[in-house]
Amino acid sequence: MRPRVFVFTAVVLVSLVGLALAFQRGGRSMFRDDDDGPLALPPDANEKTEWAFARLRYPQYRGEGLGRWWAARGHWTVDYPKADRTFVQGVRRLTRIHARSVEQVVDLDSDEIYNWPWIYAVEVGHWQLTDAQCKKLRDYLLRGGFLMTDDFHGTFEWEVFTASMSRVFPDRPIVDIEDSDAIFHVLYDLDKRVQVPGIYPLMRGMTYEYDGVEPRWRGIYDDKGRIMVAICHNMDLGDAWEWADHPEYPEHYASLAYRIGINYIIYAMTH
Amino acid sequence: MFELLFHHPLVAFTKGKLIFLSSMPGWLFALLAVAGSALLAYLAFRNGAPRLAHRWIPVWLLQTAMFALVLALLWQPALSLSTLKPQQNVVALVFDDSRSMAVEDHGGSRIEALKKAASDQFINKLKSKFQVRLYRLSGSLEPLGSTAELKAEGSATHFAPALRLLAAESASLPIGAVVLFSDGGDNAGGVDLRTMTEIRSRKLPVHTVGFGSETMPKDLEITGVQLPWRALPDSRLQALVKYRQRGWSGAKTKLIVRHGDKILSSREITLGKDGVERLEPIIFQSGNAGVRNIQVTLEPLSGEANTANNSLTRVLSVENRTPRILYIEGEPKWEFKFIRRAAEEDPTLQLTTMLRTTQNKIYRQGIRNPKELEEGFPSKLEELFDYQGLVIGGVEAGYFSATQVELIRQFADRRGGGILFLAGRGGLSDGGFAKSGLAELLPVTLPDRKQTFVRDPATVELTPVGRDSLITRIEEDPEKNFERWKKLPYLANYQDVGLPKPGAVVLAEASVPGRGKLPLLVTQNYGAGRTAVLATAGTWRWQMVQPLEDKSHEMFWQQLLRWLVADTRGRVSVSAPERVLQDDGALKIAARVKDMNYLPCGDAAVEAHIVGPEGLSAVVDLHPDAAEPGGYSAEWFAPRPGGYAVEVIARRGEQELGRDAFAFRREDGVAENFRQEQNRELLEKLAEQSGGRYWKPEQLDRLVKEIEYSEAGLTVRETKELWNMPAIFLLLLGLRASEWLLRRRWGAV
Repeated sequence: MRPRVFVFTAVVLVSLVGLALAFQRGGRSMFRDDDDGPLALPPDANEKTEWAFARLRYPQYRGEGLGRWWAARGHWTVDYPKADRTFVQGVRRLTRIHARSVEQVVDLDSDEIYNWPWIYAVEVGHWQLTDAQCKKLRDYLLRGGFLMTDDFHGTFEWEVFTASMSRVFPDRPIVDIEDSDAIFHVLYDLDKRVQVPGIYPLMRGMTYEYDGVEPRWRGIYDDKGRIMVAICHNMDLGDAWEWADHPEYPEHYASLAYRIGINYIIYAMTH
Repeated sequence: MFELLFHHPLVAFTKGKLIFLSSMPGWLFALLAVAGSALLAYLAFRNGAPRLAHRWIPVWLLQTAMFALVLALLWQPALSLSTLKPQQNVVALVFDDSRSMAVEDHGGSRIEALKKAASDQFINKLKSKFQVRLYRLSGSLEPLGSTAELKAEGSATHFAPALRLLAAESASLPIGAVVLFSDGGDNAGGVDLRTMTEIRSRKLPVHTVGFGSETMPKDLEITGVQLPWRALPDSRLQALVKYRQRGWSGAKTKLIVRHGDKILSSREITLGKDGVERLEPIIFQSGNAGVRNIQVTLEPLSGEANTANNSLTRVLSVENRTPRILYIEGEPKWEFKFIRRAAEEDPTLQLTTMLRTTQNKIYRQGIRNPKELEEGFPSKLEELFDYQGLVIGGVEAGYFSATQVELIRQFADRRGGGILFLAGRGGLSDGGFAKSGLAELLPVTLPDRKQTFVRDPATVELTPVGRDSLITRIEEDPEKNFERWKKLPYLANYQDVGLPKPGAVVLAEASVPGRGKLPLLVTQNYGAGRTAVLATAGTWRWQMVQPLEDKSHEMFWQQLLRWLVADTRGRVSVSAPERVLQDDGALKIAARVKDMNYLPCGDAAVEAHIVGPEGLSAVVDLHPDAAEPGGYSAEWFAPRPGGYAVEVIARRGEQELGRDAFAFRREDGVAENFRQEQNRELLEKLAEQSGGRYWKPEQLDRLVKEIEYSEAGLTVRETKELWNMPAIFLLLLGLRASEWLLRRRWGAV
C-alpha cells in the first residue's frame, strides 16, 4: 500500500470510529465539560456519618472491543462524582439519614466493603467480576449488605451483567419486584414508575437506549424475602441525580429518581 | 466418776438453777467476803512479806478462796430443778424406718444398729421410770409394737410433721421427752421454724440418736440444681449444679442435662475436694414450648455404690408466648436494620419498630394492623402496656410528651416491662435525657453535656459479672466466651453514658484508645421491671465484618431482647415455692393479680385449674392475702406422684383479667437416695434447739438419767443441797494442802 493511501485510510477509519462512539452514547461528548469533571470537596467532606454513598469500583468487561476505550477511567466512574454528591444533598434534605457529603469508593478486593452496607454500582452492563470478587459480593450480600445497580440498558448489557451476577448467586433467580414490595413504599409510595432516561437519549427525544425500551425494576431476594440486589435496568437514575439541577432535564424524572434512590437506601437500612 | 464427786449427774447442773437456802441476806455474804479478804491480805502481808517478799500474794489468794468457799457453804447452796414424776410421764421413742436406714456402713445396716441400741434392756430401763411409746417414722408417724417390726422400707423421712404431731399430743398426754433414732436424712432438708417454735413453746426436749457413717467412703451426689422454672422457647438457660463427692478428688466425669432420652447439653468436669460442695454451671437450650422434666446427671463412676443420687429432676415450663417489643428509633441507622434482622431470626420475639425516616414520617414494621402506632408513640396506657419490652434508640428526650415519659416510667415500674436505651447522636446525653424524667429510668448517671456520641472505633471487654451473664454468653464456656468478646470486631461508635448507678450491673465495657474503659452494657432492676443501656449503635459491624457462619451478633441481640421480656408477666402472675414435691403433696399456690391498669386488684375471683396424673383434675379457689394487695393464695394437696399442670385464671365480674400457668411434679421415694451419710449437723441442731442432746448409740445408758430432768410433762421441782458433795471437801483440802506445799517449798514451814 502506498503511503498516501495508508494515511487516508487511517484518517477515515479513526473518523468513523470516533463518530460511532459519539453516537453510541447519544452525543455524550456534548456534556463532557460538566460530567465527571473535578469538583471541589465540600467543607464537611471528612465528617463521620452513619451512611455514605458507596460507589462500587469493578473490573471492566473484557469483551467490549473498542467500547472499552469510551470510558477510559472504567464504566464504574460514569456520573462520578457529581451524581453521588448531588443525590446526597437530596438525601440529607429529604430524610433524617446522617449522610456524608461526599461519596466513598469501595471495591471487592479488600474487606473495606463490609463497612458500607449499601453500595451503588453503575453501568454494570460493563462489569466482569472475578471469582474471588463474586464470592466476596455474595458474602457481603448474605451478611446484610445491599447492592443497587443502575444505568445499563438493553439485551447485551443485561447479559454481561447477569454473566457475573449468576456467578455471585447461581442459585437465586433475578425476579421482577412486585408493586406491593416494601421497597416501593418504605418512604415514598412509588405506585407509578416510569422510565427515567439519561440526559443524552432525552436530548434526542428518547427515554431508552439500545433495545432497552421497557424499564425493569428487578431484584434478588434472600431466604427471608428481603431484597439484597435492587436492579434498575433500562433506566438511568444516575443521570437524573446528576442533572437534577440542569434546566433541560425534566423535574419529574429527577424527582422520581430521587424517590427511588431514597427508598432503596431506607429499605436497605430497615430490612 | 462425775456423780461420785458431785452426787448428781452433769445434766442436773446444766438444767438446774443455783440457789442459797440460808435466810441470811446476800449483801451480808458480799460484805463478809470483802472484809475477810481484806483481813487475810493484811495478815498475809504483815506475816509473810518480810520472809516471802511478793510470794505473800498466792498465799493470800488461797486463803481467800478457802474463806469464800466456807462462807458460801454457810449460805447453804443448792440446785433447784424440775424432774419428771416417775411412771407418770411418757417418753416417745421415734424410729426412722425409711429406706436410708437400710444402708450398710460400719459392718451392718443402720436399722440393725438401731435395733441393737434400742434393745429390750434399754427400753425396760426406760420403762422402769416412764411410760414408753414406740413410733415408726417414714412418710408419717405411726405407732409401733416393737423394734422388730422395723424394716427400713419407708419411702421418705419428714421430721417436722412428726414432731408437730407429738407436740400437739403433748397438750393432752404428759410427754416428757422425745427420743429420735435416725440417720438425720430428712427429705425436706430440716425442721422448719414453725415446728421448732411449737416444740420450744411446750419445752419438749428432743433427744436425737445418730446412726450411720458421717462420711460416705465413695460417693458422688448432686445436692442441688438451680434452674429458672419457666423460660421462653429456645432460650439459652443455665443450670447451676451443686454436687459433693468423696473418694474421687481430681477425677473426671460428665455433667449431663437431659429431657427424656434427649441430651440437651453435656460437658466434662473435674471433681473437687472430698466433702466440699462445689458449683458447676451448665448451659442448655430450653427447646419448644411445653413442660420439660429437666434431669441433671453426674455420670456414675466405677465402684460407686449409690448411683441414684447422681441425678436430680427439675420442672421447666417453656411458655408458649411471643413477647412483643416496641423499638422506636430516631433516625435510619444500620444498627436498627441489624437488630431487626437478629430479632427476625428468633421466632419467640415479636419486634415492632417505628423509625423516624424523615422529619414528619414514621415507618412502622411488625405491626399487627394498619391502625397500630398510627398516631405515633403510644400516649395511652393500654397501647404501651400491650408490649412487654421497649427499646428507645437515638430519640431525643423532647420527642416524648410529659404523659409519654410518665407512661414509659410506669411501663417498667408497674407493668414490669423491660426498657433498653440505645446510643445515638440524638439519644441519651446528646438528646437531653440527663435533664428529662427518663434519666431516672437509666441504670447510669448521664453526663450533663453534649457530643457524647462519637463515631470512632471501640473494642469490647466483658466485666467479671458479664462473664457469668447469659445475655453476653456467645460461647458456652465462660473463659472461651470472655476471649471471644475480646476478639469481636470493633464497634462503629460509642457513647459516654457516665457512671453506673448504685445497684446497676455493668456487663461489658468499651475500650477506647486514649479514654480508657467506659460502661457499655449496664442493667438494673427498676420497680417490677428492668432497664438497661447499651452505649453504642455500632454492633452491626459484628454481623458485617465477621464470616456469615458467625452468629455472635444474632445471639447477643436475641439474648438481650429475651432478657428484656422474659420476666415480664401479664396481669396474673402465679408462683409456687416448690416445683418438685418430695414425698409430700402439700402445695402452696400464690398469685398476684392486677387490674386492667396494672394496679393491684383485690376484688377478683381467682381460681386454679389443676390437671394431674391418671386423669386427675381439680379446681381450687385462691383467697386474697391480707398482707399483700392483689395477692391471692391457696393450699392444695397433690395426691399422687407424677406431673401436674396448673392454670390460674382471674376474673373481675364477667371480665377476664388474665391467666398464668405453671407445672410441678410430685416425686415419691426419690429423696431417700440423697444425703445418705448421717446428717449429724441436723440432729445436733434439732436436739440443741429443743433442749435435748445428740447421742451416739453407745452413750444411750446415760440418756435415761438425762430424760429425768425434763421440764415437759408432769414434773416435780426438787431441791438438791450441794454442801455435802465430796468435791467440796476435796476442794477445801486441796486449798489448804496447796498453801502448805507452797510454804514448804519456799522454806517458810
